[in-house]
Amino acid sequence: MRIGKNIERVITYLLSIIISASIVFIVPRLIPGNPILRILSSYLERGGTGVDIEKLVEDYKHLFGLDEDLFTQYIKFLSQTFQGNLGFSIVQFPRPVIDVIAESLPWTIGLLFITASMSWIIGTLLGLLAGWKGESSIFSKIFVIVAILSYAIPYYIFAIILLFLFALTLHILPAGGAYSVGMAPGFTLDFFIDCIKHATLPALSIILASLGWWFLSMRSMILTIKDEDFILMAEVKGLKRSYIMWKYAFRNAILPQFTGLALSLGSIVGGALLTEVIFSYPGIGWILYQSIRSLDYPVIQGCVMIIIFSVCTANLLMDLLYPLLDPRIGREES
Amino acid sequence: MKLTIFEKFRNVTKCGKTIKQVFKYTDFKIGFILLLSILSISVHGQFFIPESYVRIGAFEPSQPPQGLNLLGTDSFGRDVYAQLSYSIANSLIIGIMVAIIGTIVGSVVGFISGYYGGTLDAIVRIIINVMLSIPSLLLLLLIASFIKGALDFVSVSLIIGLFSWAWPARQVRSQVLSLKEREFVNVAKLSGMKGYEIIFIEIMPHMFRWMTVHFISTILYGILTESSLSVLGLGPQKNLTLGMMIYWALNYAALYRGIWWWWTAPVIILIILFLSLYLMNIGLERIMNPRLQRVG
Repeated sequence: MRIGKNIERVITYLLSIIISASIVFIVPRLIPGNPILRILSSYLERGGTGVDIEKLVEDYKHLFGLDEDLFTQYIKFLSQTFQGNLGFSIVQFPRPVIDVIAESLPWTIGLLFITASMSWIIGTLLGLLAGWKGESSIFSKIFVIVAILSYAIPYYIFAIILLFLFALTLHILPAGGAYSVGMAPGFTLDFFIDCIKHATLPALSIILASLGWWFLSMRSMILTIKDEDFILMAEVKGLKRSYIMWKYAFRNAILPQFTGLALSLGSIVGGALLTEVIFSYPGIGWILYQSIRSLDYPVIQGCVMIIIFSVCTANLLMDLLYPLLDPRIGREES
Repeated sequence: MKLTIFEKFRNVTKCGKTIKQVFKYTDFKIGFILLLSILSISVHGQFFIPESYVRIGAFEPSQPPQGLNLLGTDSFGRDVYAQLSYSIANSLIIGIMVAIIGTIVGSVVGFISGYYGGTLDAIVRIIINVMLSIPSLLLLLLIASFIKGALDFVSVSLIIGLFSWAWPARQVRSQVLSLKEREFVNVAKLSGMKGYEIIFIEIMPHMFRWMTVHFISTILYGILTESSLSVLGLGPQKNLTLGMMIYWALNYAALYRGIWWWWTAPVIILIILFLSLYLMNIGLERIMNPRLQRVG
């Protein structure tokens, strides 16, 4: 039973999404009682007023077809979810969940994209240098200790420490939010600088926490490659050390680093969510935290679905692109 | 039959030798000493500090370290040192429970899938990949948010355990795949042993050291995940864990109010704990993987 690698990847991807959606569907229904009433009662307990409950119940019944049997509900849920219809926020009713999330997405994507790529590049380059200089060099030894610390300490701890040091003790950088209160968002230079200032600490904590792994994996890869025959051959040929490092060692070690990026995307995103919470950075992690606090279940479910969908899609794309980067893999298959 | 099983275990696992070997590695030694020092705080607290110290209002609230309160008190008047010692134990118990669930489920899945192969293996492999590609923290926090009221350290361990078996399963499976091609398994097959007998008597002993490595890394995963959920407010609300201590400290703005002893204590202990487990893991992995002995 041999299926093509790519087909298997796509199957894995589709199954991941469907299984996640199914868990999102099943969990509320496993808890005894009417899911809508459960959602609403938790809100009412907190003294939620000013919400048209009758209309909310009707909307939900219509949306999820709750008077129908479980299977029809399930199919309806899946088709609604895949059309991007994630229901309505309870706290901000009648605002659709997708709106609430859409507002926060640019912050998260901006922060994540910049930090993930920066830490990957810095970590890989430092790992390359440390590996190339050899195990016994002081540079390598110092950075290995730093990298082990970076890898072992979780994101939110870096966030807490940086917040305390730079924002609350030294007062150099702002403690929270994405821009100053009273600042009108717009395409002005002032606003841009303000945004950068606010993003520095969250970005720094994500970079610090994810740097170590890239360093350690690149370093051990280079150390292995350094002993390979083709490196020796290149040295014998009298090529320059730096040329061998970039064209021979780096070129071979960079590919597994790409796979590593695909594999650890999920944990980076998870870590970034917590970082947003510590810095009250208004991305999707902050929305998620707020909705957990106010038990706004539709928003929790929506955030979970959107994040899982994005991570899995990014994963799939990287998996599919990988063979293009590594000619050896393509050849083996054909 | 029983005797032979024990004999095989004794011969093949060579536990004593492994332990001696692993202590040769500096990383493992440092990790082990760090873990022991954390455990000693916990044991000291459990035996020498009365439980009343962690009750709300036991002392004057928000007091810096002094006299009876080695690490001060929090905003509820609870002794921070006493909380810390109870939290360490609870966090470790959660980690160990997650590791037990993850290792057992993962090993069973990995053994069966790897040994029997075929269509079953193809399906299991895809399921493992699916489990690994879903960012599990999100599903965990979804489940936790729906049972928020009933979260204690048993239920938290159980739900984290549900998502912790995929990685061990993948590793065990690939080990079994290579082990089952070895001569001794063929001999066992030819001598008429049944599938489960071969798994238990022939293959399992070889896997023991591997399973130890996964056990420690799954403890790490368990504690990390629990503390992440706790920071989001979805930890075991009724129990003290290191993550919950950080949650309460953050929730009552300890950072902003200058009550540094409240939040630094659990943060430092968590850093040491993660570091020690990670270092022990590196040491163990080196024994498993001869290539790393030279490199890493």
